[in-house]
Amino acid sequence: MDNEAILRKYKRRQRLIDILPVVALAALFAILVATVQSKGYRLDMYLKIVFNEGVVLAVVATGAVFIYTLGSFDISLGASTLFSATLGVMTYNATQSLPLMILVIFGVAVGCSLLSSVLASVFHIPVFVTTVAMMSVLSAIAAQIITTNGGAVGGISIPSALVKPLDNMGFKIAVLAVFWLICFFVFDFTKIGRKQKFLGGNPVCAQLTGIQVNKYAIIAFVMAGIGVGLGAFLTLVYTPSVTATTAGSIGMNIVVAIVFGGMPISGGPRSRIYSALVGGFSYILLNNILKLLIDSNIGYGVSQIVSAVFFLAVVYVTGLNYRSQMLPR
Amino acid sequence: MKKALALILALVMVLALAACGSSAPAANNDAPAADSGKTVKIGVLVSDVSGEEALGFRAYYENYIAKNYNVEFTYTEQLEDAAAEKAAIEKFAAQGYDAILSLAASDRTTQIETCEANGLYYAVVSGMLDDAQFEQFKSNEHFVGQIGPSMDTEFEAGYAMGKYFADQGAKTVGIYGAFIPNPMHVYRTAGVLAGLGCTYGGASDKDGIAGQLFGDQGVDMSKVQCGDTQIIGYFQGFGDTTFDELFAIIGQQPDAFLSVGMATTFFADSLNGANIPYSDIDSFTSGNAANMADGTLVYLAGKYSSSIGPIFAATLNAVNGNPIRDAQGNALSISQGYLVATDSETFDNIFNGDKGDSPIFSKDLLDTVIGAVSYDDFVSLVESK
Repeated sequence: MDNEAILRKYKRRQRLIDILPVVALAALFAILVATVQSKGYRLDMYLKIVFNEGVVLAVVATGAVFIYTLGSFDISLGASTLFSATLGVMTYNATQSLPLMILVIFGVAVGCSLLSSVLASVFHIPVFVTTVAMMSVLSAIAAQIITTNGGAVGGISIPSALVKPLDNMGFKIAVLAVFWLICFFVFDFTKIGRKQKFLGGNPVCAQLTGIQVNKYAIIAFVMAGIGVGLGAFLTLVYTPSVTATTAGSIGMNIVVAIVFGGMPISGGPRSRIYSALVGGFSYILLNNILKLLIDSNIGYGVSQIVSAVFFLAVVYVTGLNYRSQMLPR
Repeated sequence: MKKALALILALVMVLALAACGSSAPAANNDAPAADSGKTVKIGVLVSDVSGEEALGFRAYYENYIAKNYNVEFTYTEQLEDAAAEKAAIEKFAAQGYDAILSLAASDRTTQIETCEANGLYYAVVSGMLDDAQFEQFKSNEHFVGQIGPSMDTEFEAGYAMGKYFADQGAKTVGIYGAFIPNPMHVYRTAGVLAGLGCTYGGASDKDGIAGQLFGDQGVDMSKVQCGDTQIIGYFQGFGDTTFDELFAIIGQQPDAFLSVGMATTFFADSLNGANIPYSDIDSFTSGNAANMADGTLVYLAGKYSSSIGPIFAATLNAVNGNPIRDAQGNALSISQGYLVATDSETFDNIFNGDKGDSPIFSKDLLDTVIGAVSYDDFVSLVESK
């Protein structure tokens, strides 16, 4: 096979694999709609539920794309979300100030994210290791604050009336859209995104060309921190209480979302900012479809097993894109 | 081009989700009228899907109640947090359910508000709201009520257990605080300390001890002062060092080992092997039956599976248009105590009397409070067991 034929075949396959996550999202959406309607359930309510379940994951994961693009892996994002929300609630309860609460949530979220990055830079240890440590520390501190102040209720909360006006689709769509568009612009239309992809794809080569690793790592963690802050705030908007288990599943779900969205966990030039959005909602849609189709009485965990098999299948299919004789483009 | 297409499709999908879901859900107005013959659909929120108590509750509802009444129960998967609880309620509402029975407690305020917003009746199956929460919701027409051990009852259960061993003349005991800061375990442990005649940080009353335990996240042994009965070791939680801590206590050969939960599940083999009498606050289950008969379990304060029968009856009544309210129109709030067994015969009487087709709260008994029934009659039934 001559080089042109190989290139054509490669491009065809890459196009297909790039579009596959979006097609999968559309297919899952159609299946959910058909399933809900065939069972005679309220479609409008179901779609609202799916959106509410997916929006926090999509927001946090979109910020996390910047970290994953560098080939780093942050397992502490769920704990950061919990910690930010916890301090936000404590701040409101102490000051009765919503703006201050929001400020604290974002400040803490970005601060935690930066701390992970700085620790990794200062001590020259993999980011993954520092985020594992951060996850343990943040979860423990948050749990201590929550249980000490929550007493017999077991959690801390702000008045539901405070955030109820924001618990609507319009506000959440606006938050998601604005944050996503900012990330889209930074990632795809500035040198920040390009250099981060370069660093993720070939860090040695990128450094030799003069790209400052620490600078772009810090930018990535700041973007992720903003996503965490938004996620923490949206979590409080949906349920104005925080317990030690709040946002507990977000850390791992981000990985699943990014993979479902067709982005390699290894980051690099094939990273896509839309992966988190597409993958996050695909994952939530898949979960809901499985729960609708699988009778809950046949046993716990069946939907998780099916979901895991689906995850492996997606990794395999997207992995086809990497095993190429061509350099990524 | 690819990017643009992906972007457009993704945003369209999200906006489609939003647009379809933007209309406010109407309240569930198709609740079955009394004697309409329509199956009453009840969603059950659970945070524990594998404990013996949880399985016992589930078997009672699904294998006994569902066969004797025109009702369908659907259990959630294990709900990890408040958001999962709220989403589960919204899904039940979308599926046309009539009521929610809650065994999950991450955020009961949000649970009730979500049920109200979706026109569902709501009841706490086991456990209690705190006083402030109950005051907030007691007049809410969607809140059926709560029947279960209050925090006072939890303290009293711990107190009775501690006092039992003090009265038996135990000189040295070890204590397992289970999963403090779980409030239930905090109050039980506070009761055990008080029942043994100990003070904690100078306090000997429920609120004084429990408040400090919340703050300390466990028992700080330096704050414990006891009289005749000495506490030679304390631990809580379950992790890598749990059995080291247990064996450190066993090595001192205490007169008794007092646990406020899960002792048989975690430690029965070790305690039986060392021949150390132990106690627990748990449930009347086959595991505890075997250890009271052949092991060293000597005291069990427990719930029984059909104890959740009355709250089902109250919920069914509410769905069928016969809500049970007190004279002020408030929801039910009945504290349900633990049954105690200190020998196999007593244990078996309770355990065997609550199994299969002949539970303590049988259909015959529940039928006496299903339909139009007074608040006092209902309370009498619950308190009779």
